[in-house]
Amino acid sequence: MLKVENLHVSVEDREILKGVDLSVGSGEFHVIMGPNGSGKSTLALTIAGHPKYEVTDGRILFEGDEIQELGPDERARKGILLAFQVPPEVEGVKIIEFLQHVLIELKGMDPVEAYDLIVEKAKELWFREEDLHRYLNVGFSGGERKRLELLQAILIEPKLLILDEPDSGVDVDSLSVISRKIEELHRKGTAILLITHYGRILGHLDREKLRVHVMKDGKIVKTGSGELVDRIDREGFAGIFEEVGA
Amino acid sequence: MTETITMRDAKEIIRMQIEELARRNREPEWMTRLRYKGLEAFERAPHRDPVISEEELLQFIAKPEVEGIPEKIESLDDLPPEMKALLDKLGIDEVEQKYLAGLAVQTDTGVIYNQFLKEWEKKGLIVLPTEEAVRKYPDIVKQHFLRLFRVDESKLTAYHTAIWNGGIFLHVKEGLKVPFPLHLFFLIQESALAQAPHIIIIAEKNTEFHLIEGCTSPVLTRHSLHLDMTEAYFHENARGQLTVLQNWPEYVHTRPMTRAKIGKNARFINTTVTLGSGKSNIGDPHYWVDEKGYVELNGILLGQKDFYIDLGGRMFLQGRGAAGINASKAVIMDESTVITRGVITAEAPKTKGHISCDALLMSDKAVMETYPGLVSKVDDAELSHEAAIGKIREEELFYLMSRGLDEEKATQLIVKGFLEPMLKDIPMEFLVEIRKIIELAVSGGM
Repeated sequence: MLKVENLHVSVEDREILKGVDLSVGSGEFHVIMGPNGSGKSTLALTIAGHPKYEVTDGRILFEGDEIQELGPDERARKGILLAFQVPPEVEGVKIIEFLQHVLIELKGMDPVEAYDLIVEKAKELWFREEDLHRYLNVGFSGGERKRLELLQAILIEPKLLILDEPDSGVDVDSLSVISRKIEELHRKGTAILLITHYGRILGHLDREKLRVHVMKDGKIVKTGSGELVDRIDREGFAGIFEEVGA
Repeated sequence: MTETITMRDAKEIIRMQIEELARRNREPEWMTRLRYKGLEAFERAPHRDPVISEEELLQFIAKPEVEGIPEKIESLDDLPPEMKALLDKLGIDEVEQKYLAGLAVQTDTGVIYNQFLKEWEKKGLIVLPTEEAVRKYPDIVKQHFLRLFRVDESKLTAYHTAIWNGGIFLHVKEGLKVPFPLHLFFLIQESALAQAPHIIIIAEKNTEFHLIEGCTSPVLTRHSLHLDMTEAYFHENARGQLTVLQNWPEYVHTRPMTRAKIGKNARFINTTVTLGSGKSNIGDPHYWVDEKGYVELNGILLGQKDFYIDLGGRMFLQGRGAAGINASKAVIMDESTVITRGVITAEAPKTKGHISCDALLMSDKAVMETYPGLVSKVDDAELSHEAAIGKIREEELFYLMSRGLDEEKATQLIVKGFLEPMLKDIPMEFLVEIRKIIELAVSGGM
């Protein structure tokens, strides 16, 4: 479904991704790990179409079509969703209003139908109806922000969900609900590309079914099964980097 | 400009207009004398307008009407096509459209005054056209007319005094809390006179009211200069809101003059929503605030084309514990210019003042200038200001777009959101229209 080929990406003339190859089949669960600055977030933001990230070489294909020239909104309409590491505050825009717009736009729902669905799903992520009248991410704690990202994923039901560190800056309780919701989406058929530092977010997911990629200096240096996650949790990256000579 | 108008010509024109107004309004002699005071002061009063030169002012006095606006609008089909198209886009119904086109408006000066308000008169709510109030309540009007301005402050105050016409007299008697917003919309289409409505607001002790003036849709006006003057008096514990909605066409210059005295424990929230593309809108309201009084001046601005607004606003915190807030939020598009220069002066102990100014620049040619002024004459006042001028943040736009909203829709949401916190006191029916106007403006559809 998603195919990244020899992807080179620069930000303000500094090359950050130096030839990334990645292939995610539909319904698969991929994990990207790597030290800070290895290019994980850049990969996520580039796939989602952030205008600051310039593709200087290579291609991004989604369901067979090249998408690197498309705007972020067109990629979203094709079924790609990025849950942000640090979603921005948008003053004056109420969550409910925003989500209604999104569901009208992406799913062709009518506003009332959208409203009811949003309120219902929000409860599963611990948002009360009155919380939805707050402004988007304004004054939100880390946990609230990440739960709101997950709520959007659940409402949009993308074909590919990219999660950029859904576990960073999150309290323990939020972490468990986020983890459960990721599993739920995966079970329903959404392909997942999850960026994380820790294995904990993966909960009880069957390690055998995971594909884990380790990044360093803008490249994927190792790919393996779920056991890699536990190994990195135990030993850090040094051993792996040594092994592959990176 | 076809011919030169001399000061002597202008004064003669003003004199004839005073005579005409005195006759038509059957006004008491003191009022006519006051008008003549304006005429006398006109020549010697200073003229400091940053946009309109003295020559232009004299021209305007001789010929207040704009060329090219249809003389008689008998049906909506007589409207300029752009205006008709805009009214349709805004989804304004036909009755209101006629109103905005001047069709349903009396050609005589006067405000809409209906049976409903007559009922409320018995409870102590007096709402009258100012001319009528001069005849009906001469003593009260006399005590409140031109008491917060000096006739010879400027050529514009002098000219206004001489030929004022139209306007509202609002008197809320002690203890009355008016439970509904009073929406007064008046448009004077009489061509020979300049638009110079005079508004008087008297809120007695322990009263409450919300007055809404104007409308959010563009109005087809035949005059290029609007000189309205508002004098408001808030007695002890009075709570009032004045919401002014304006959307001027490109050729209009406005010089709103607003002043208010806010008594002990009284509270005045003065919100102005300025939309459209008026050439210049220059106002410098003054507020004098007594012990524990509170005044809030909110400016919501959406400027398009060569819109130009210069907003002053002076607050004098004169009583112990008095407080004032001067806040504005501006969305500046195309080649518009927004200047704000609020000044808060603390003259008594324990006073508090805050100035804030936020602007969203939507084009490279949009200009924002802000000059906040804080003056403290005591040692324990709390005065502060903050300003933020910038473009739409790329991160916000990307975030909304990454959820499938196109750039136009995402921008509309951000712009509406930017203004939203300031629109908290605007009744729903206007809010809906304001939002629609913002959307259209962002999409370049106005």
